[in-house]
Amino acid sequence: MTAKERVQGLGLYLTREPVILALLSALAVLSFLAVGGLSRMYHAQQETLANRWFTRGTADLKDGHFDRAVGDFRAALRYSRDSYDYQLNLAQALIGLKRTDEAYAYLINLWEREPENGLVNLELARIAAQKGQTERALRYYHNAIYATWPGDSEVERRNTRLELIEYLLRINARTQAQSEMIALAANLGDDPSLHQRVGDLFLQAQDYEHALAEYRLTLKSDHRNPAALAGAGLAAFDLGRYSLAQRYLQVAVAANPEDTRSADLLKTTELVLQMDPFRRQISADQRNRIVIEAFATAGDRLKSCAATVKSSGSTSSESLEQSLADSWAKMQPKINERDLRRDPDFAEGAMDLVFEIERQTKAACGPPTGTDLALLLISKLHEGN
Amino acid sequence: MDPSPNSQSGTALENGQADLAALLPERPRGALLRSVFREERLFLVLSVFIGIFSGLAVVCFRFAIDWCRIYLLGSGATLSPARLLLAPSLTGLVIALLVIHVFPLARGSGVNQTKAALYIYNGYIPLRTAIGKFITAALAIGSGHSLGPEDPSLQIGAGLASTLGRRMRLSRDRMRLIAPVGAAAGLAAAFNAPISAVLFVIEEVIGRWTAGILGSVVLSAISSVVVMRWFLGSESLFRIPAVQLERPSELIAYAILGVVGGFASVAFSSGIATLRPRLKALPRWTQYFQPAVAGLIIGVIAVLGAPQVMGAGYEYIDQAMHGQFTWQMLAVLAGLKIIATTLSFVSGTPGGMFAPTLFIGAMLGAAVGGAEHVFLPHLSGSPGTYALVGMGVLFAGFLRAPMTSVFMVLEVSGNYSIIVPVIVANTFAYLISRALQPTAIFDVLTRQDGLDLPSMEEQREESILRVEDAMQPPTGPVLDAEQPLENVLRQVEESPADNFLVRLHPSGWSHIGKQEIRTKVNEGKGAHTLRSVLPMRQLPFLHPDHPLDLALRYANQWPLVPVVSRADLQKLEGVISQRDILNRYRAFNEETGD
Repeated sequence: MTAKERVQGLGLYLTREPVILALLSALAVLSFLAVGGLSRMYHAQQETLANRWFTRGTADLKDGHFDRAVGDFRAALRYSRDSYDYQLNLAQALIGLKRTDEAYAYLINLWEREPENGLVNLELARIAAQKGQTERALRYYHNAIYATWPGDSEVERRNTRLELIEYLLRINARTQAQSEMIALAANLGDDPSLHQRVGDLFLQAQDYEHALAEYRLTLKSDHRNPAALAGAGLAAFDLGRYSLAQRYLQVAVAANPEDTRSADLLKTTELVLQMDPFRRQISADQRNRIVIEAFATAGDRLKSCAATVKSSGSTSSESLEQSLADSWAKMQPKINERDLRRDPDFAEGAMDLVFEIERQTKAACGPPTGTDLALLLISKLHEGN
Repeated sequence: MDPSPNSQSGTALENGQADLAALLPERPRGALLRSVFREERLFLVLSVFIGIFSGLAVVCFRFAIDWCRIYLLGSGATLSPARLLLAPSLTGLVIALLVIHVFPLARGSGVNQTKAALYIYNGYIPLRTAIGKFITAALAIGSGHSLGPEDPSLQIGAGLASTLGRRMRLSRDRMRLIAPVGAAAGLAAAFNAPISAVLFVIEEVIGRWTAGILGSVVLSAISSVVVMRWFLGSESLFRIPAVQLERPSELIAYAILGVVGGFASVAFSSGIATLRPRLKALPRWTQYFQPAVAGLIIGVIAVLGAPQVMGAGYEYIDQAMHGQFTWQMLAVLAGLKIIATTLSFVSGTPGGMFAPTLFIGAMLGAAVGGAEHVFLPHLSGSPGTYALVGMGVLFAGFLRAPMTSVFMVLEVSGNYSIIVPVIVANTFAYLISRALQPTAIFDVLTRQDGLDLPSMEEQREESILRVEDAMQPPTGPVLDAEQPLENVLRQVEESPADNFLVRLHPSGWSHIGKQEIRTKVNEGKGAHTLRSVLPMRQLPFLHPDHPLDLALRYANQWPLVPVVSRADLQKLEGVISQRDILNRYRAFNEETGD
């Protein structure tokens, strides 16, 4: 057989189906290997680019450059479309730009993928809160509280609950806020700053008893904490425990002389303590002097308020003021030390009129200050007695 | 043997005999191999290889597009204005040079070129075209031209298949079918949706359902998708949002989407149909600059605030599905994408229209959904649901592939609850598009290129004449084969007809002429039954629903063909003759004005 015939024979052989299929199989394997190599290169590049843009985005997000961060995270997502972290960060950047609708779209997808993710639930709760969707916000906040968190989950849950409480207080849902605060207070540990923050929240919720308890816990480990002292003073003041309030406020003002609010409160507290004729451990003469002073103060308040009411032309208030003025004028000649000593019960009647004057003038002329405020607080203290 | 034309056994037997003959020659070893590798079996095996190679090619094509994008436009999401303007325009110049001087067949629609290979060029698609399509389309899409990778993938698959078929020296029939097999593989890999790819190729490329090709198309599509998923993962092109339809009354909202989509489809296809021949008619030197000018205009659109229109835009479809644009922005993007895609396509830049169609549909759907939510807040459908339905709407209205459009949405969403909205919206879009633009875009393009390829849409709606339209009641008596000839003669003498049907027992039909009966009676056979003197000739029979074309095959062999009931083969419904058929065709042509 010549070489030419051999080549022709080989050519014929190569056109046979089994040979072609074998060759095709070999070619397919080789192509697979080659594309596999390309694929590894491609995926490595995609990963590098994704990481690069994500790192940039994280830095921009940290620096508050939300606009740039959005671009960065979008670029990162181009190379790793389903990355949970990238989408979450993008949503946070969008929230930073106040593009909440877009952020919501990302977050809701993430939520569908991982409904138990704490951060996603928290962000969704914030968006719902912003949009005024209370029910949805509460649901997401509660989800977040019981969700899984990376790192220290206890801290994250506590912070979420704190945020929820602040939200509830903002929407005046005090009862719900109080329940959350009580649940929170039970698991606070020894951190004085946390007790102080919860105390502030209780104060906002007008739950003064729990507020005082939280401030006391703060002061246990941080005796000279001026904010806690002022808070405790305020809580005690609102509870009508003026002696206790005085003690806290004195220390608070001493610790922070610039705290004018506490200083004013201290003055009022001291006035309440001084002007209360029904307090124990004072002599009859001292009580009578207080009654005389209170009666005079109430008279002055009535006169000034009457002038204000007259200028405003309110007839109903005017007639009420007039009847109080008549009563005051009728009683006034008997308000002296001699008559009061002679008839100790008369002091009570005088103080009743004083309290009535303070209450009515508050309604007609606005909240009082100074001694009038003290008298009003004393009236509340003895309400029902 | 059943003489009914329903039976194809004759042909099958003939083929079988041919194969048997192939087994008998002198060399038993070769014969054995040939029996193992019979062409139809080989074709199926080859389909798997076509799928594998097409899948690999499409994976590389995806890599190439992404690399072009990274190196031409940059890797970030926010692109610099200089790149936005320069990348598509300068790449447009390079593409024009390549298309004019190196790969002239890379220009144009891959669907039509594959169809032309099937119907005109006996399955021949040069490998060079596939390579050219790969390079130029990757450059175009990567540089931001508003085109998609599916159509080029389809053509790359078809090109590879054609090359393999030639190498295997397949018969002409098989060679014709091999390009669609590759096309299905390419499209399935590009779209990650094998069912839609198979349906599209059958609906738009092959144009008819044939069992012979279906197996190969399915095998190639599946194997290419497996390969693609091996390298790129099984994620769908978009993240699919939750789909919900709470009240049937919401279908009205989807019907509105269908109407809007129908008009958008007409605007899109009219733009292409009008501009393409005008640009082609410009002097030849302008063709060097047309892709560059289209690229520049797209760059300007991007710089002015809509970079989303660049490239295939799948990521933005994803964003639209997840409510990340306002409805006004979505509507603007849909409009701009129509302009950008029209410019890219008519300028002769290689690339497909599938992805832009889906983009426009998604944007339009989400925009209509968003607007409806503003005015009818109680609607429960999310923007994502509307975007999904919108994609199907444009597919039905613009590409005019109604079946693929429904299955595509189902396959992509993996949610069957969306089927009713999709069908409602697609029907409206399809009807409006058909009414306002009678010729489908692919057919417009082929006719502009001077080709006349069969259109499935036209075939689907072609009036078919059936046997029942031409058959006549028998003019003479129907004779019974068991009657004596004398009786028969009496019957036929009273009739003016010359030919009579004879009902055989227990089944079958024959015929006899008046003169033949007279002769037999004159020969003294009057007492014999008709059957005993009847020549051995059984007539084929037809049913009323058979196509008239089929009747023509028999009418030139037999003077009369019986038309019998399918429920009772002895029950005569009518008779048909060549003259009846021709008369009916003549009347039909007069009715239709042909």
